[in-house]
Amino acid sequence: MKTKGKLWLIFGPVIIAAGLLILLLSLPIGFGHFNSQTEKKAAVSLSPKVFRGRKIKQQALENGYVPFFGSSELSRLDEFHPSVLAAKYHRSYRPFLLGNAGSQSLTHYFTMQNLGTQLKGKKVIFIISPQWFTKEGQRPDAFGFYYSPLQTIDWIINAKNDTADRYAAKRLLEMPSGRSSEIGEAALENVEHGKPVSEFQKMFLKFKETILLNEDSLFSRFQLNNNLAKVQKGEKSLPAHYSISKLNHLAVKVGRRETTNNKLGIKNTFYKTRLSGNRIKDLKDSQTKLDYRRSPEYSDFELVLNQFAKWHVNVQFIIPPINARWADYTGLSIPMIRQTDQKIEYQLRQQGFNNVLDLSDYGNEKYFMEDTIHLGWRGWLKVDQTVNPFLTNKQPQPNYIIQNRFFSKNWQNTVKNE
Amino acid sequence: MGTKQTVVDILKDLTGSDVSGNLDENLFDSGMIDSMATVELLLELQERFGIDVPVSEFDRSEWDTPNKIIAKVESMK
Amino acid sequence: MINLQPYGNPMYFVYLLVGLLPLMIGLYFGKRFVVYQTIISAIFLLLIFGGSKWQQGLALIGYIVYQFIVVGGYAVYKRRANQTWVFVCTVILSIIPLVIVKITPAIQVGRQSLIGFLGISYLTFKSVQMVMEMRDGTIKKFDPIMFARFLLFFPTISSGPIDRYRRFQHDYIQIPDRKHYLQMLDKAVHYIFLGFLYKFILSYLFGTMMLPKIAHIAIMHREAFFHTGISLALVGYMYTYSMYLFFDFAGYSLFAVAASYLMGIETPMNFNQPFKAHNIKDFWNRWHMTLSFWFRDFIFMRLTFFIMKHRLIKNRKRIPQVAYLANFLIMGFWHGVTWYYIVYGLFHAGAIIINDYWLGFKKKHRQLPHNRLTEGIAIFITFNVVCFSFLIFSGFLNTLWFSAR
Repeated sequence: MKTKGKLWLIFGPVIIAAGLLILLLSLPIGFGHFNSQTEKKAAVSLSPKVFRGRKIKQQALENGYVPFFGSSELSRLDEFHPSVLAAKYHRSYRPFLLGNAGSQSLTHYFTMQNLGTQLKGKKVIFIISPQWFTKEGQRPDAFGFYYSPLQTIDWIINAKNDTADRYAAKRLLEMPSGRSSEIGEAALENVEHGKPVSEFQKMFLKFKETILLNEDSLFSRFQLNNNLAKVQKGEKSLPAHYSISKLNHLAVKVGRRETTNNKLGIKNTFYKTRLSGNRIKDLKDSQTKLDYRRSPEYSDFELVLNQFAKWHVNVQFIIPPINARWADYTGLSIPMIRQTDQKIEYQLRQQGFNNVLDLSDYGNEKYFMEDTIHLGWRGWLKVDQTVNPFLTNKQPQPNYIIQNRFFSKNWQNTVKNE
Repeated sequence: MGTKQTVVDILKDLTGSDVSGNLDENLFDSGMIDSMATVELLLELQERFGIDVPVSEFDRSEWDTPNKIIAKVESMK
Repeated sequence: MINLQPYGNPMYFVYLLVGLLPLMIGLYFGKRFVVYQTIISAIFLLLIFGGSKWQQGLALIGYIVYQFIVVGGYAVYKRRANQTWVFVCTVILSIIPLVIVKITPAIQVGRQSLIGFLGISYLTFKSVQMVMEMRDGTIKKFDPIMFARFLLFFPTISSGPIDRYRRFQHDYIQIPDRKHYLQMLDKAVHYIFLGFLYKFILSYLFGTMMLPKIAHIAIMHREAFFHTGISLALVGYMYTYSMYLFFDFAGYSLFAVAASYLMGIETPMNFNQPFKAHNIKDFWNRWHMTLSFWFRDFIFMRLTFFIMKHRLIKNRKRIPQVAYLANFLIMGFWHGVTWYYIVYGLFHAGAIIINDYWLGFKKKHRQLPHNRLTEGIAIFITFNVVCFSFLIFSGFLNTLWFSAR
């Protein structure tokens, strides 16, 4: 009896703690609502934690936030950034930024997976960079950085036996992240081969989903960084009333002030930290061999389009330019870029995605790009002139016709010539 | 001369202080003996008593007070 | 096949507890289920060295066979003769695999030796210890099965603590009585949860959340202070890295000790509040203790013994100084053949020699004040000297001065 009492003293607290933890994580508890400040912070945080999660995005999209899918340009939070303009001029929408360095089509495709209810019939902005379309396509390590087991489970549970889902499963299995859990991997292999996901797999995945969801709603409010401060600082320097000419004037002024230490029209801080010294010399003619015309990314991108079509999402696409002086210095081929843009546009328009803002001719405009390949100052203003009316005004319902040929190797390797 | 007196003498040479007043003081904790002094102690014991204590045999907890050292020496003679 | 890194994630502890439960019940009732323990140990070793790490697994098997030949061979020889040169050769043979593994990346930059595996240095400590104790005659019988259990004891296989054969053998055979075993269980639970705090919270905070950011700022300031890179951020890096190093390793060590306790083996502790040390000598009695005691017993003491017995150095003061230099230089090389590990070793040798002078000075001048304030100053100085040595150890200076340019 005495030793039994001791045993309980030793292990009792551990057993109780473990039991409580299991209860906390495995019961479908909602864990309340996020407040609007958390929403605001998450919308501009650009943090992988937000991309991977679910609850905070769902809640924000229900409250008037519009997803802006993209990559590293979204982090150029100067005073003309869409998030700043929307807040300053009290637009009917607020951007929810989804994307950062290294996020490409495949990441976005999975990020969307648990936003179906919120996205159906809605509008989104999608900034698509030619730089995604490299010979290798999505880099596995970058994919792993944004990889979310929760979204993958949500996807597997709803997967169908069609070209898109089989392709997505195959791509996911090509990434180390897709093989990070035994049962998830087996279920993905089933989807890839057109077999149904077994009941056991579904049960296990659903159990894991509950745990991940609770973790998501418990912890995603923490560790949001303070990009919001940047947005608020930006708001202060803008004129009180919206005026295109005034804003354009200001953009020129700011751009001129911040690009003084180099001849490439690159922001001083970027140039100093990333390019100064010998690094800039090493980059001379470093991009002559780049070719974005053949890439698996085209089919990954098709996954995204396929998802938009399924949910009847109205999408405004934006193709940003490349800083022309930078392209010239590094020897990046402009005809190649032109053909890349044409191929992307062809893929879009062939399937009924007609809202495309192609900015590729603006690479030479002063203060349009903040640095090498990222929109800034005047570039953001130009984007705003399309994005604002698109989101503010009523738009006709698009009519998409998805074509499976864009999933083929053949399309990935086709060069579009006009 | 007895074992006890010899050990106390050796320790006095090594540490510079007389331990005969407190034969249960922990020599390592008080910092009177360190690894180097330990080796010297072992060599001294070898010379005076002819006992061979290999370094492996030296378990600090069995040698940490003057009394324990005396007992060890007695048992090994 | 799956691969599990020891104590790497919460699931490992669940597997560990489930796997060890029958063994714990047995020990509670005064029995060691030897067959079960062997099987469960094999399973855990397979999980650690199987799957994607199968090459390491093969290297481990090869290594064990090799050490059996070396150590077992010496045991057979020792029954007949006891020549010094045979002993020396055996020690050399025993450390050759480790030497190859440590030197390979220095010769072929970035390459890892094929015969290496996680924990090879810890197994080498155990093997060399066997040879030395057989030479001294404190281990008389070579029991191959116990030797295998000792080498392959899975809770400590990857990074210690380094146990001693005779201690381990005693615990394995002598089952603790119930009262004592309950105390061990109590401690084990405490250590595991303290380890969680250290490894999964504090080490994560310092190492994963803070360190990369501070490192980035420090690298941005690499031209500061006459191009030396000495900046406030570098000082910040020094302290953050020191905290990370301690909590990471101490957390791991707590897990390893706790797992051993559950199995009824009292593996010695590795840390004893090292940042409370009053001087460098004190520090090495508190930091990575099983390693520093191994070096003390098998290198420092043997070397001083040898020097004094053969009267190689006349000046008594010089003997420990030479031994410290050798001792810490070897420790530096053991960490890896890079300039910063070796400088780290020399730095500690220097610090401990200076410390010895100070202790001698204090002994002569008994009137020197000794109170709480002086103790506080001593702890403060020791802490900073130690943190500086960890900055050297971290290799960050190498990045800052040579590879970040």
